[in-house]
Amino acid sequence: MRSQEMTEQTMQTLDAIATDLPPADSRFENLSALIDGELADDMAGLGIRQLSQNEAQLARHHEYIAIGDAMRGLNVQHPDFTQRVMAALEKEPVVLAPVAKKSERRPTLWLAAATAAAITWGIWQSNPRDEINPQLAAAQQPAQLPANQSLEAMPYLAAHQDFAQAVISTQEMRFTKASLEIRQ
Amino acid sequence: MSDRDIDLQLVERVRQGDQRAFGILVEKYQRKLMRLLSRMVRDQHEVEDIAQEAFIKAYRALPQFRGDAAFYTWLYRIAVNTAKNYLSSRKRSMPTVSDQAMNDDDEPDERLVAQDISTPETELLSKQVAIAVNQAVDALPQELRQAITLREIEGMSYEEIADTMACPIGTVRSRIFRAREAIATKLRPILGTPEDKRW
Repeated sequence: MRSQEMTEQTMQTLDAIATDLPPADSRFENLSALIDGELADDMAGLGIRQLSQNEAQLARHHEYIAIGDAMRGLNVQHPDFTQRVMAALEKEPVVLAPVAKKSERRPTLWLAAATAAAITWGIWQSNPRDEINPQLAAAQQPAQLPANQSLEAMPYLAAHQDFAQAVISTQEMRFTKASLEIRQ
Repeated sequence: MSDRDIDLQLVERVRQGDQRAFGILVEKYQRKLMRLLSRMVRDQHEVEDIAQEAFIKAYRALPQFRGDAAFYTWLYRIAVNTAKNYLSSRKRSMPTVSDQAMNDDDEPDERLVAQDISTPETELLSKQVAIAVNQAVDALPQELRQAITLREIEGMSYEEIADTMACPIGTVRSRIFRAREAIATKLRPILGTPEDKRW
């Protein structure tokens, strides 16, 4: 690892000696890597913050992007385009996406909901529906029809079973043509 | 952090109220977007107007941007729809655009939008920039020229460039940076970029 670092330093030193270029301002080396998507996540986050807050970084960004575009043949220059867009945006309301906030009340609400559900379940278990309302339970018993009436009603019941309220119907009330035939 | 992740972070900053972060995205994609639009609309001023409208629409729609697609893909669709609406409102035809270039469901095809437009207003500046960049690249030491070319034209990652040039990644990073700085020095007087940016 150490030898790799030394090799890197040596090569960079040799690069610097071999060129007559003025010394580059190293403040912008991270920006250069950021533009290329080659900066580590933590550094990139910092770089992005600096970029939108630092005028000198913005100026370099403008130049680096223009260089890349020109090298790729995107030569058409639109002076002041960004300024135009930004001036137009000045009239726009600031875009603020709703940020999810940690609600302190949420655990309390969950606890209350869970407690209510547990109590309801407990009551339900200890008092089955038939015991709570014996009259209703009795009313829900299937009517004992004479055999000839039952036969007459069979097509009607089979045709209308889809409109029956399955939630309150008992097992005996759920007719099918087949079941009626078997029961006959 | 990948280019796409960087865009997402910039979008997030805009959502948190940092309008300048949107300016960075405008800087980054304006030429690419205008080259696309120039295939649909001939007039340079109209291209700029549509591009501006597309960026503003994108800004307004940022709360709905979920990041499923890359920011540019999303922006591209907005721009194409903006251009279509513009053209239909003016009852104009779209003489130079193939169906493929107009397909707003796909990524833009660079080959189909490669033709640049120029008007007298921008022609001089565009030529000056192209000449300055070419001359500055030619004047670079070979290592720097190769590094910046592999990055900007071939689109290679630092790791790929390091393999190609048989040098450490840190050296690639340094060479690309130094190349950019050297070219920027030549470009600055033409672009008129002050040391400190405005907007």
